[in-house]
This record gives sequence, structure tokens and C-alpha cells, in this order.
Amino acid sequence: MALTRNVYQILEDIVGPENISEEPVILDTYCFQWLAETVTGSKFFTRPEAVVLPGSKDEVQAIVRTCNRYGVKYKALSTGWGPWNAPGSEGVVQVDLRRMNRILEIDEKNMYAVVEPYVIFSQLQVEAMKRGLTCHIIGAGANASPLASCTSMSGMGLSGISMSYSARNPLAVEWILPTGDILRLGSLGSGAGWFCGDGPGLSLRGIMRGTHGAMGGLGIFTKCAVKLYQWPGPKQMHFEGVSPGHVAVVPENFKCYVLSFPSWDSFADAAYKIGEAEIGYVMGKQIAAGIVPLMATRSSTEYANVRQSGMADEVMKEFRYSFQLVLGANSPREIEYQERALQDILAETGGWIPALTQDSERQKATFRMMIKVDGNSAIFRLSGSFGTSLGAETSCDAAMVHARLGEEIKKKYIEKGVIVDDGAEWAWGAEMNEHGRFAHVEELFMYDPADPESAKGAAEFIEETSLLTAKQAPGLAIWELARGGLGPKGHDIYGPACSNYHVWQRRIKRAFDPNFSADATFYIEPEE
Amino acid sequence: MALQDYRNDMQRCSRCSLCKWPPLAQIKSWRFSNVCPSMVWGNFHAYSAGGKLIAALSLLDGRIEYTDKFLEIVYQCQMGGACDVSCKVTRDLEPLEVMLELRARCVEDGQLLPAHMVMIESLRSDDNPLGKPKAERGKWAEDLDVKDITTEKADVLYFAGCRYSFDQDLWGIARGAVTLLKKAGVDVGISGKEEACCGGRAYEIGYRGELTKYAEHNIETWNAAGVRTVVTSCSDCYGTFKYHYPKVGKTMNFEVLHITEYLDRLIKEGKLKPTRKVPMQVTYHDPCHLGRLSEAYIPWEGVEKKVLGQIVIQDPPKEFRRGTNGIYEPPREVLKSIPGLELVEMERIKEYAWCCGAGGGVKEAYPDFALWTAKERIEEAEATGAEALVTACPWCERNFRDALEQDGEKMKLYDVVELLLEAL
Repeated sequence: MALTRNVYQILEDIVGPENISEEPVILDTYCFQWLAETVTGSKFFTRPEAVVLPGSKDEVQAIVRTCNRYGVKYKALSTGWGPWNAPGSEGVVQVDLRRMNRILEIDEKNMYAVVEPYVIFSQLQVEAMKRGLTCHIIGAGANASPLASCTSMSGMGLSGISMSYSARNPLAVEWILPTGDILRLGSLGSGAGWFCGDGPGLSLRGIMRGTHGAMGGLGIFTKCAVKLYQWPGPKQMHFEGVSPGHVAVVPENFKCYVLSFPSWDSFADAAYKIGEAEIGYVMGKQIAAGIVPLMATRSSTEYANVRQSGMADEVMKEFRYSFQLVLGANSPREIEYQERALQDILAETGGWIPALTQDSERQKATFRMMIKVDGNSAIFRLSGSFGTSLGAETSCDAAMVHARLGEEIKKKYIEKGVIVDDGAEWAWGAEMNEHGRFAHVEELFMYDPADPESAKGAAEFIEETSLLTAKQAPGLAIWELARGGLGPKGHDIYGPACSNYHVWQRRIKRAFDPNFSADATFYIEPEE
Repeated sequence: MALQDYRNDMQRCSRCSLCKWPPLAQIKSWRFSNVCPSMVWGNFHAYSAGGKLIAALSLLDGRIEYTDKFLEIVYQCQMGGACDVSCKVTRDLEPLEVMLELRARCVEDGQLLPAHMVMIESLRSDDNPLGKPKAERGKWAEDLDVKDITTEKADVLYFAGCRYSFDQDLWGIARGAVTLLKKAGVDVGISGKEEACCGGRAYEIGYRGELTKYAEHNIETWNAAGVRTVVTSCSDCYGTFKYHYPKVGKTMNFEVLHITEYLDRLIKEGKLKPTRKVPMQVTYHDPCHLGRLSEAYIPWEGVEKKVLGQIVIQDPPKEFRRGTNGIYEPPREVLKSIPGLELVEMERIKEYAWCCGAGGGVKEAYPDFALWTAKERIEEAEATGAEALVTACPWCERNFRDALEQDGEKMKLYDVVELLLEAL
């Protein structure tokens, strides 16, 4: 369903001829997505009808109004990484917010920044650090958008222990509703600036994004105030080395550890205790056992050689129930206290610090990865792609149940040869948010997107593990919904196991988007 | 390898956009946080390296056909390779190779840019892509009192390259390089008007046959001349000699050095002694072809295999070029050897340096884009507080000069050679 010339012309008049395209070579770069082959059998979802690049809130509003008026669907993206960014059906105009890429304000005193959609975490973090602040960065990596994460999509990350996840971090928001009306959420709506996400009256943040976000299904966010947190490190981090081996110098008031435990239970106990002691600055299971050898090798071939030689077996065993922890303090006494508290926790839980990780160069590499969140895409290296499932926000103990169940299913797929043999363990994340209030775990697996059998196996693995959450281990399987593999009725499968959230979500969609203009595919279809 | 041989790389792109940024840990400010000029200029995702991988896959799959916009996306790119470095921090993909193959495929299919056709016609008639008569090639060295290796033996051949040979504004740098070598007692000669293009630019714009022709000719000529070392001040030529020439399979009986490597060596050996103060704060621009694109060619012929389920390996193991081994320190060492001169760094340096804008046939086909790219770099240089921008490549020098002139900017511009000459 091509756009009518009239609609195209109106959109062109809004953004200018250089900022709109219906050239197939351009359109294909928006429907090509990570994980697409597990859904469509090819690298491509549905091609959008056109791509527009608005440069301002007014242009976004005019685009949305035009789409409403002419019955055209639209789908916004910021950095556009992930299947949920792609059009879910034919007849969609893709709204690429790339030109809206400014950090508008950093309020040092009130500890927030106002950002546009195409600012990435790395940019925000370096500018915040110059002022003694930093931002929560999601596990996907610092190449993602804080605005998109805060307003629209999940947002778990290693800094969650001290900075929570992205649902907690938006303050005031400028929101182009699905109809084209502008809603200024929170203090902004009262003309009081950006400092608060809630204004007088009921909070709308739950409707805006809830736990996991509408993924573009509820309009377009054009500005967002993002909470910042104290950074007790230098204004500019110091790095050594040349690509790909950059490492970060660990400042004196920081400590960086890998902590290993004898079982998932002691792993969870230690995580709780660290949360209770409020000593964690950044913490999570970023380096899974199967990925440890990748840290010491520069290519998948080298990695495979190490694995096949058996040299990594002991190390992988030692890292099986492990997570990484960064302590950050404001004084020598404070860091001493934190270290003592950590030693007590290790003694109480049977944990230890693997000898391999006490090497200062390895600590520098781990510190870089934990603070800059720049190494996560190495997960793509070994087989070309990865997928993830589970992903509920739950208690740490329940997250460990997810991890155990995920492992058992993974073993079957490893035996089939359709995914990478990573030792059948990778509970990625295992983050303790808000000093232990809740945790998050994902079951990662690696597959080859260029191999149809592997992609098919990946799809089956995601489905099987995700359905667990509807049957045996309550929690929303966000990554299955974000992949789009279950189609538009995915929420109907999980809703009954999660307080019937899907009923409310569908009502919200209908109320806020009466013309069904915002592409609902990855949010919720308005029809029962 | 042909375009279709990289099909798996295209399918394994995750559209993460890391090719648009420097390695993330190296981002130092919002202002200078981009690394891909093409993407910043074009804005649609298709202009990124990842976008071009997708475009290539779509072309192979028959989803799209050649259009003017397709060619613009393919060619509005300096092929500077910063995207390749950023991608390879965490991936074993070859985005730059795919982009080069895509251009070669366009040429094979007759999808040519008029501006590039002019370059190739000039190359075929006069052995240079600049539209200059071959007879004028040696003029830069008139009265220089240097050996002519076509008639005399010399240990070292100084290769000027097309830009230095025909761009009169830059002759002083090439002459200065020879002067420095002679001062150090190097037995140096040149080829004068018999010198021919390196062929590198032709390769970059998709004309593979030209590179092979010039590589074979130059290697044979220099082997026959018995030179021990080939030294050039042109980073483009240097990168071509180091990476592309070994591919043609002819033995190279000579060492290849960039002038900054040679000067650094001569200073450390005490054969050049910078003693005169040059009181100036400068910043250094890493040319793409001297930095990340100068990594030596490592031959690899093998196959992809799967182990441990789905781990993709190369058999035999392949050494990926990740920008690690570019020539980053020698030019800096030369600058640091100059008394009174202070080197301050820009934010994007070495393997993740922002391109000058001139490469990949962009200066010829899209001059506005080339100058915009240079101005971005000049602004970054100015932000350091330095009074001069220093580089080590005539293409960078030319493009920076043009950009500075167009905007009436006051920043001084030098080649490393010029500053060392001042210090002697």
C-alpha cells in the first residue's frame, strides 16, 4: 500500500525534500533488523512506505496529525536497534528521529538532563561526568537512546543497583500523543520545568510506559528529562590502549570485582546482602561463564580454539555462578568500609574472587565494560547473533528459578546443534535493581542469522523459554513480545498470568489512539 | 573475494549503529561524538556502514535495483574505515571490504559516476587521476639536485604520488621531504616524470583493474631499480602499498615507509637533530590511510566453519584488521622531537580519527561534502586551542586548505615535514 502522492507531498512539505524518502534502498535499511529471521525467515520485516526525518517537535506533531487525518500508520524510532523498531505491517511511515539529537540541558543542581530522542547514553554520560554526574545505562549498550529507554522500552542495566532501571528515570516528558496532541507530562505541564515526572493529579507515567514501554505504539516522545546520579570518579575517564583493546584506569576510590559462588542460591544470597548493605555502584552478571574466554581472545576463531582445547573448562566452571561488582566511594574510609562489608558477605555466602580476575589489566577491562557499557555487542561475535528470553522484573530468588529453567531448556537446543554450546549457562543481567528491591535475568543464547536452521532453532528456543513464564515461573517474557514472534496477540498469552495487564493495556491503546494510527504491533493490537 | 562472498557478513549485521560512533569508551563529548561523515551528512541509516551492508544484501537478493540514490549512498563516502574499526571492536565482520566490493560491483555493472569516469580517463591517458599531463609530473622536483632512479642507482626511492606531483601549492612539502632525507645522508632518488599513480584511488572507487596494473608496474620497476626502500609522503599511496600491493602476488624486494616513519627513525638514530625552537601549540590529524588503513595486508584464503554448535570460525585462522597497527606514533614522535613545539590531541584520534573528507573519490564527485567534512575536523582542531593543524598527507592538506580558504579561517596548516624543516 504505497502512500498517495497527496500524503507524500504533505509529509515532504513538513520536513523538506531532503528529509523524506521512499527509495527502496533507504526503506530496506529500516525493515532489516536483528532477530527478524527468527520471525519472518529473512533479515527483513515489512518495508515502510516512506521514511521521514523530522527535526523538531512541531514537525513530529504535523506528521502525526497528517497520519491521523489520512489513515496512515506511523512508527517512530531513535537509534533503531531491535525488531520492535520496524514497521509491523504494511502502510507504515517510519519516523526516524535521528535529527533530534541534542542534549538540551544538564541541570547539575537538580541532577537531571533534558535530551532529545537521538542522544545516546555514551554522549549523555560523558557530558554528565564533566559535572560529577552519570546516567543509568541499559544492558543493550551505551549506543542506545536514553529517551527511548526511559519513555518506551524496558531499560535494565548493570547500574540498576544504584540507579534503578529506565522506568524510574524519566522526569518530565514532552509527548506527542497518538492523535497529535501534545502532552507535557509532570512538572513541565504546570510550567514548572523538568524536575518531576508527576504534576498535580494522577501520575500518567504508568500509562506512558508501564513496566516495559509501548515501543512506539503510543505516540512519539520528543524530549525527556532523565535522572542523573552522582559519579564519584574523574571528570573524564582515562583509557589506555588501541582498538579493540581499550582499558579504563580504575580510579583510587573505585574497586572492580568478579565474584564467584558455589550455587545459584548463594549467588542470590550475596546479591541480596550487597543490596541491603547498599555498597554496590554497578553490579550484574555481564560476563557469563561461556563468554569469559572471549575476554581473553580477539576473534571467534581464537575463542573456539581455547574452548576446544579444554583450557577454559576450569575457568568456566569457576565463573558459572558469578557476577561483577563495582564499588564506588567518596572517600578512602568509605571504600574501605565497602570492601570490608563485601568481604563479610563473601564469607557468609561462600563466595570468592577468582584469581584470574585479580590481574590489574583484567580489572581495567572489566571496569571499562561495567562503567561504559561498551562491550556487550561482543555477544554477536561468536555466531553472528544472539537472542534473549525471559526478562521479567521479579525477586532475585524468582530470577534464579528462571535461570535454572532456562538452562535446562538450553541444553536441549545445544544438543540439537542449532545454538552455540556455551555450557548451557547464561543468565545475563541478573541485576539487582534499587539495592535489591527487584532483580532481572535473561536467558541468552547465540545463533547464526545466516543459517536458516539455526534461526529456526533460535525461534523455537525463545518461544519455549518464554512460555515458561506463563506456566511455571511468573513474569512477563518481554523479549518474546519485543521480538514479535507471537504476533499481535502475544499479550493475550501472558496477560492472564500477570494480573490481566493486557486488558488494561488494550483499553489504554483504544483511549489514547482512537484512529489506531501509532503502529501497535509491538505494543498491543487494539482489537480483542 | 566478491560481493556475494560477504553475504554472511551482511546477514550478521545487527543494525546496532556502532559503526556511526567512535569506540564508545572513546567518546569524549557530545559535539565530537560521530565518526562517520557519510552518516552525519546523509542522515538516513542507509548512509552508515551497516546501511550499506543492508543495501548490498538487498541488491544481491533482488529486492532493490540500481538508482541514482543507490549510487549516491554507495559513493557519498570517503571509505575512511572508521566504521570498520568501531564495528570490529566487538565483531568479526568486514564492513569496509563489503563497501569496496559494492563499488567494484557497481563498476562491473556499468553503474558509474561521471566525476569518477573523468578520473579514470585521466589515469588511463596520463597515469594520474587529476587530469594533468603526464609530462608535467616531475616538475615539483626541478632544480632539487636529487638522483633520477631511471638513470642512476639509489638506495631509497622517494615516491611523490599524484597529489604532490601536480598540486603546486604542495610542492614545498615533497621538496622538503627530499631535502630532509638528503640532510640525513640518505642515498635517495626519484622517478620524476616516469613515476606513475599508485592506483589506490582507482581501487577505492571500484576500478580494480587499474590497481592491479599500477601495482604490477610499480613493483616491477622498483625491483628492477634495485631500491632498498620506497618512502612516500602521501598517506594514500602508503596505505595502498602496504595493503593492496601485496594482493597482486608479486614479490616486493623493498621496504615501504611513510616519510614520518623514516624521519622518526632518522631522528632516533641521530641523523637528524631538531635544535631550533618552533614555539607553537599544534594538533595532529591522523590521515585515514596512514592510520587505520595502513595496516599491512595479511593474506588469508580459507573457509568459514562451525564448531561448538554455531560458533563461526575461519579456517585457517584469519587476522582481522582492527586499526590496531596503524602508523600513529611516528608522526607524533617527530613532532615531540621539535623543541618548543607542544602537541595537544583532538578528541577523535588514531584509529578512530575523523576523516579529512577528501578520500574515496568524494572530493571529485561531491566537493561540498568533502569540504563540510574538513570543516568538521577544523572545528575539532580549533577546540583544542592549538594554533596549527598538522597532518601528513597531501589529500588531507589540500582539502583542509580548501576548507580554510572557503571560510576565511585563520588556523595554520602544516605538514609534519614542514615543521621539522623549521626545527633544523
